[in-house]
Amino acid sequence: MWEGIAAGLATAIDPANLAWVALGCLAGTLIGMLPGLGPITAIALMIPVSYSMEPAAGLIMMAGVYYGAVFGGSTSSILINAPGVASTVATSFDGYPMARAGQAGRALALAAYASFSGGVLGALALLLFAGVLAAWATAFQSPDYTLVLILALSSVAAFAERGLVAKSCVAALLGLMLGTVGADPESGVPRFTFGRLDLMDGIAFILVAMATFALADAFHLLTRGDEGEPRTDAGRHVRLAPGDARAIVPTVGRNSVLGFLVGVLPGAGATLASFFAYTFEKRFTSNPACGVAAPESANNAACMGSFVPLLTLGIPGSGTTAVLLGVMLSLGIQPGPRLLAVDPGAFWGVIVSMFAGNLVLLALNLPLIPWLSRLIRISRPVLIPFVVAFSLVGVYLTTLNDFDLYLMLGLAAGALVLRRAGFPLAPLLLGFILSGMLEENLRRTLYLADGSWGTLAERPLTVVLAVACALVWIAPLWRRLRPGHRADAGSGQAPGES
Amino acid sequence: MPNQRTTPSAAARMALVGILICGALGAAADDRVHFVIPVAPGGGVDGTGRAVGRTLDTLGLAGAVSFENVGGGADRALGLFVENEARFRDALLVHSTPLVIRNVQGLFPLGFRNLTPIAGLVADYGIFVVREDDPAAHWEAVLRRLSEDPASVIVGGGSARGSLDHIVLALALGAAEVDARRVRYLPYDGGGKAMLALLGGEIDLLSTGLGETLSFARSGQVRVLAVTAPARVGAIGHVPTLAELGYPVSFANWRGVFAPPGAPQETRVSHIRRLREMTLSEEWQAALDRHGWQPLHVFGPDFEKYLERQEAVLRVTLSELGFSR
Repeated sequence: MWEGIAAGLATAIDPANLAWVALGCLAGTLIGMLPGLGPITAIALMIPVSYSMEPAAGLIMMAGVYYGAVFGGSTSSILINAPGVASTVATSFDGYPMARAGQAGRALALAAYASFSGGVLGALALLLFAGVLAAWATAFQSPDYTLVLILALSSVAAFAERGLVAKSCVAALLGLMLGTVGADPESGVPRFTFGRLDLMDGIAFILVAMATFALADAFHLLTRGDEGEPRTDAGRHVRLAPGDARAIVPTVGRNSVLGFLVGVLPGAGATLASFFAYTFEKRFTSNPACGVAAPESANNAACMGSFVPLLTLGIPGSGTTAVLLGVMLSLGIQPGPRLLAVDPGAFWGVIVSMFAGNLVLLALNLPLIPWLSRLIRISRPVLIPFVVAFSLVGVYLTTLNDFDLYLMLGLAAGALVLRRAGFPLAPLLLGFILSGMLEENLRRTLYLADGSWGTLAERPLTVVLAVACALVWIAPLWRRLRPGHRADAGSGQAPGES
Repeated sequence: MPNQRTTPSAAARMALVGILICGALGAAADDRVHFVIPVAPGGGVDGTGRAVGRTLDTLGLAGAVSFENVGGGADRALGLFVENEARFRDALLVHSTPLVIRNVQGLFPLGFRNLTPIAGLVADYGIFVVREDDPAAHWEAVLRRLSEDPASVIVGGGSARGSLDHIVLALALGAAEVDARRVRYLPYDGGGKAMLALLGGEIDLLSTGLGETLSFARSGQVRVLAVTAPARVGAIGHVPTLAELGYPVSFANWRGVFAPPGAPQETRVSHIRRLREMTLSEEWQAALDRHGWQPLHVFGPDFEKYLERQEAVLRVTLSELGFSR
């Protein structure tokens, strides 16, 4: 292995390859910053550039595009509450309120440092454990995935603010229902499509995310209109606040590990990692700095984790890694169990290049923060139309279907009503994201179980996950029932307090 | 047909697609080829379209090559392609066996008869795989287990129930007179995830395409028991075909290209001429090897006959499985 790493180091520090990784990271992070454009678009746009390249160099660059886009993806979540990829939704929970309170620069800096640390720790884990962890990816079976998904939904609902637990559950269920629109994953039969081809493939993530977050928020501000201008000192906080660095070190550490492990699981990946990171971190602290750092370190570490099944098994866990797999095949690199033996230079080269890539990303992103954070100082009558236009264009560019624009406006109106009625929208979006995967795994589980609950006790992993699901619901109740612990719910700020 | 489109939106879409996708690839020449890919980037159909386009470009067989991934599902893309002939005049739609399957199943009214078949280029054959430690050393051993108790073996595949991998399984079992309807089939989202389920022990037998799992088939972590090709496949030369084992079945997941309905004769001829020339080149052979694909290489009327034969086979198999209407 050490010989391989040495060979990889030689590949990675080749000046041409360093230039390619820098170019890939630059393109990825800039495209990723734009609202509505995520890693898939970034990689697809860069495919023609990779055609004429050496295989190892091409892979190094395209991997840079991927994690660069994940790195930059938090920008639009924080600044305008418009998460372009599912994995940055959780970043907007604390990041956007920080930006609106005049601390956009601080939130962006936190996201950049957390992304960098998550990326580097993830790359380190990839370097040391890539071979071993392939087994972890095969350890999870359908019942385990089902329970992991239920755990994610439960933790978002059960850890909701006081008094919002029921409403969070309703919102999550609405999201699950939205996710059932489209062709049945088991038989291909259309469901809830009203005979429209536009709905055959279901509703796009980006559409629901933009409708429930960016658009609903813009409509909310427009129709209320009395909250005053955003604070004008926005550009001043371009660095971390005193104490932030010390506060986020443990957060970043544990969530990078969590993110990497969840990222290795095919299909689960960065989104689950960031939601888990946020909800569990908020159990321990109400510091919004940790609320930004946790999901950002987790999703970047998860991005590195997703290279484990891709490189060692040749199995893409997500849409993004499926595109990356296509790129690798067209470059003549066959990922899978034999890659390490056949092409060690490419295998270790791409992993080692990730360290350089993350340094480049940090160096690119930090100087941009003062400029980006000025966006928030734009007065609201100018900013809101921009947010609306960006959301609409972002969705249209993804699907090139005008029907989606009407659907999006309809969903945004619905989301506004829900929001006014006091329903949190994050569980709705999470329910929607996880709906398809949950359905698929649940149906397989039930089919295999043949109506017996015994499946849940068959394997230790399943038992542990089932107990975790139960604890998520029991723990808050138990704390509430204990006398003397009722008074501490006064702050009401953090969703984690009960 | 649903999905009526107004002219302004079609024009706007055209402009956008033009700027975004073709822009970087230079001005459109007379002999440009625009590939319409009915799925998101990633996967076999996307890979086929891009590999064909890239090879045409390298060989200088097309003035300009561009790609367009149409979102919203393959059915919607097919609908758009059939209804907007003018916009897709120079375009080739990339498609695969599910085009025939969904039509035979009665899930979608449009099929290959609504298109102009140009060429079938790539064949991906089905394989049957067990874990390396599985006691079944031969396909016969699996068949014996299945005929004794069909529910005892859990079979997984990379596509929906009643779709590709399930059909291949039903064909192979039908030839051995095992009732496929009584066999438990679990669908996964792609052959890769089904392979993980096999390795993790959730399923006992995997029915999938060779291309998706080539690196595993070669690695020795799993045992490939049979392939549905008409002759042995070079990449896995040790694996017998079903025909060799005494079951006269062969089935390929084809991937090919289509022109819009009513494409003029000269367009058809020039597409076929350049694709035929491409399939003779070393560059195309290299592309096939890189992806682990087998050549199909049937053109125009021959491709149409190929599709008709496949449709007839699918009609019988799907009604036996209880999936056609």
